[in-house]
Amino acid sequence: MQNAFIAQTTLILLLLQQMCVYLVIAYLLSKTPLFIPLMQVTIRLPHKLACYLIFSIFCVLGTYFGLHVDGSIANTRAIGAVLGGLLGGPSVGLAVGLTGGLHRFSLGGPTAVACMISTVVEGLLGGLTHRYLIQRGRVDVLFRPAVAGGVALVAEIMQMLIILAVARPFAMALQLVEHIALPMMITNSVGSAMFIRILLDRRAMLEKYSTAFSSQALKIAARAEGALRDGFNQANSTKVARILYEETGVGAVAITDCDKLLAFIGTGDDHHLPGTPITSSYTFEAIACNEVIFADGNAVPYSCSIHSHCPLGSTLVIPLRGEDNQVIGTIKLYEPKRKLFSRLNRTLGEGIAQLLSRQILAGRIDAQKQLLAQSEIKLLHAQVNPHFLFNVLNTLSAIIRRDPDHARQLVQYLSTFFRKNLKRPGDVVTLADELEHVDAYLQIEQARFADRLNVDIDLPEHFLSTQLPAFSLQPIVENAIKHGTSQILGPGRIHISAHNIDGDLALVVEDNAGLYEHSKPSNGGLGMSLVGRRITARYGAGYGLSVACEPEQATRVILRVPLASAENLETRH
Amino acid sequence: MIKILIVDDEPFARDEMSELLAGEPDLEVIGKAGNGIEAIAAINRLRPDVVFLDIQMPQISGLQLLKMLDPERMPYIVFVTAFDEFAVQAFEEHAFDYLLKPLEPSRLAKTLARLRRVRKPQSIEVLTDNAPLAQLPCYGHNRVYLLKTETIQFALSRISGIYLVDADGKEHFTELTLKTLEDKTQLLRCHRQYLVNPAQIAEIRFSNQGSVEIVCHGDRIVPVSRRFVRAVKDALAII
Repeated sequence: MQNAFIAQTTLILLLLQQMCVYLVIAYLLSKTPLFIPLMQVTIRLPHKLACYLIFSIFCVLGTYFGLHVDGSIANTRAIGAVLGGLLGGPSVGLAVGLTGGLHRFSLGGPTAVACMISTVVEGLLGGLTHRYLIQRGRVDVLFRPAVAGGVALVAEIMQMLIILAVARPFAMALQLVEHIALPMMITNSVGSAMFIRILLDRRAMLEKYSTAFSSQALKIAARAEGALRDGFNQANSTKVARILYEETGVGAVAITDCDKLLAFIGTGDDHHLPGTPITSSYTFEAIACNEVIFADGNAVPYSCSIHSHCPLGSTLVIPLRGEDNQVIGTIKLYEPKRKLFSRLNRTLGEGIAQLLSRQILAGRIDAQKQLLAQSEIKLLHAQVNPHFLFNVLNTLSAIIRRDPDHARQLVQYLSTFFRKNLKRPGDVVTLADELEHVDAYLQIEQARFADRLNVDIDLPEHFLSTQLPAFSLQPIVENAIKHGTSQILGPGRIHISAHNIDGDLALVVEDNAGLYEHSKPSNGGLGMSLVGRRITARYGAGYGLSVACEPEQATRVILRVPLASAENLETRH
Repeated sequence: MIKILIVDDEPFARDEMSELLAGEPDLEVIGKAGNGIEAIAAINRLRPDVVFLDIQMPQISGLQLLKMLDPERMPYIVFVTAFDEFAVQAFEEHAFDYLLKPLEPSRLAKTLARLRRVRKPQSIEVLTDNAPLAQLPCYGHNRVYLLKTETIQFALSRISGIYLVDADGKEHFTELTLKTLEDKTQLLRCHRQYLVNPAQIAEIRFSNQGSVEIVCHGDRIVPVSRRFVRAVKDALAII
């Protein structure tokens, strides 16, 4: 009795030892990508195949690591079969069971048949448990070590029963079962549970790693958003370098354009000075080849090109790319000599470089768009309506003959008009200024049309200091005459007024033609819409132009700009 | 004596032109008009030999005005324009006389010289499109206005002038001649003194005596003279 107990205990310990070797192999394999398909339940065929292969190997290994007892083998084969079924489903379980079972059968012995059958049954049991849990939607339960252990325990009990039922002579079978039942039940259950534990740990680590990576990447992306959009220059680069330095925790961060250092933050900033030319051969190489250069300080030597006592020991140089993938600069990450360059920072660095390249590119496109809008407005300025100009000159030539003084006055108005027209589009002027432009223009038009044009301006004094973009009101008035009053047979009337509407200045230009809908957008529309767009762009969506037209009666154009506090401006003068 | 009419919507432009013409002994400025509608009346009334015609004018441009003139009595037209790329090109290609503002006396002198040599009307077809006139200038008590052609039922000629009758039976006086209306609108000649708008015809009555009359909507009757019966039938596709 005592002997039997000792033998039993010895067998348990031996089998546990074997299981440990088995689990070490499992642990090592879990570090490889081979194990990734095992970490989640999938129905994809390649994953199922991987599942089958791996667990078949473990099944066969379990047999090999087994201990020969009474001509039979005490083993951990059940772990492979049960887990194969549990993680891969009934088909995988069955396949693994068959593979492991046939292998066991090929080794022979009195229990060969019984063991083969039981291995298949174990695989099926795991598979059925898998199907049951999946159908209940309890995927999480699948990955519980206790569940795997429990299933393995049941599987082992069934194996013992099968041996008793199938193996002959029965006396031998019974003796064998007495010997191996407890050790096999314990090791297989514990082994299965620990195998699952390894999988879980591996999965948790992967998730943690990628969470950390993505949260860091997202944080950098969020902080660096737009930083380089308004220009790839020293000030903006310094901001970005600081963000990268703080978020990645590397030794130092540098940003260069193609010839000089724009920013340097971190260790070594005493001799890596922004504004100095690039000296590092790696940077030149990265710019010339448009490639990421990595000098880890070991395989690829790195030493600071500026100072021999520089504590930096490794560097990663990533090119920044602009239009057509042309290199426009680099981002450099450094680690000091005592630290290793982590792969994480390397991947992150490349991602950030891409992000920043995009920003620079977007910024340049923005700048170009703005330039285009500016030149559009410039064009509008330069484009004095030739019809207006030549008619004025013709009028002037008539007036010179009859009334030289009036003609001289008109020349004055004309020069005021042209001078105001030369104002740069970006300028902000006061309403008084803008009104001078309008007035010069109207004086000329009134000379042309005489009693066919009546103008009536009603602008309260206190609005005159309000600021607005130059060249805002005049195009509207010009439009009201060109496409309005000059197109009707009767006398034309233009009324210009100003109102305080909810704290904004509303300038209203009204004509009595009511032809707005009929006027072609290609003529007046361009100038008007540019004026509106410019004001909306400057002050926001609530500001700009609105047009109301009663056909044949009146067209009313309302220009809305913020009403700067007139009192404040006046006290400043 | 060459009779001249000046048409421009700017008073100083009219003055400038007449000042420049004042020194010429064989020229007489017989009138000035400030828009296209006034111009038609003046041309029909004063029968000028030459019209100095501005192109950019309210409602009826100089080019549209040309279409409204009776081709039989077309004066010699000299366009005066400040800036009109299309028109200037057309003038240059077809040798119409045109002047650019501000007016240049030496250039004007050339035009006058040509006028004294040949004073025959030019073909205006190249300058105008073939689209019918969509609106017709009419004269009220103290105003001028434009009437949409499609609203007219018929046009008739009296001793006092040409009248357009609209769907409400209201009469509108116009300076356009029946000939112009016949040529430049969809109105159909049915009588020496009548044009009818085919779109407004309700009925055609044939009497036993062989006379024919058109009944427009609103029971207004338009006579059809014998010599135009054929033409009316053809136009209306009546066999």
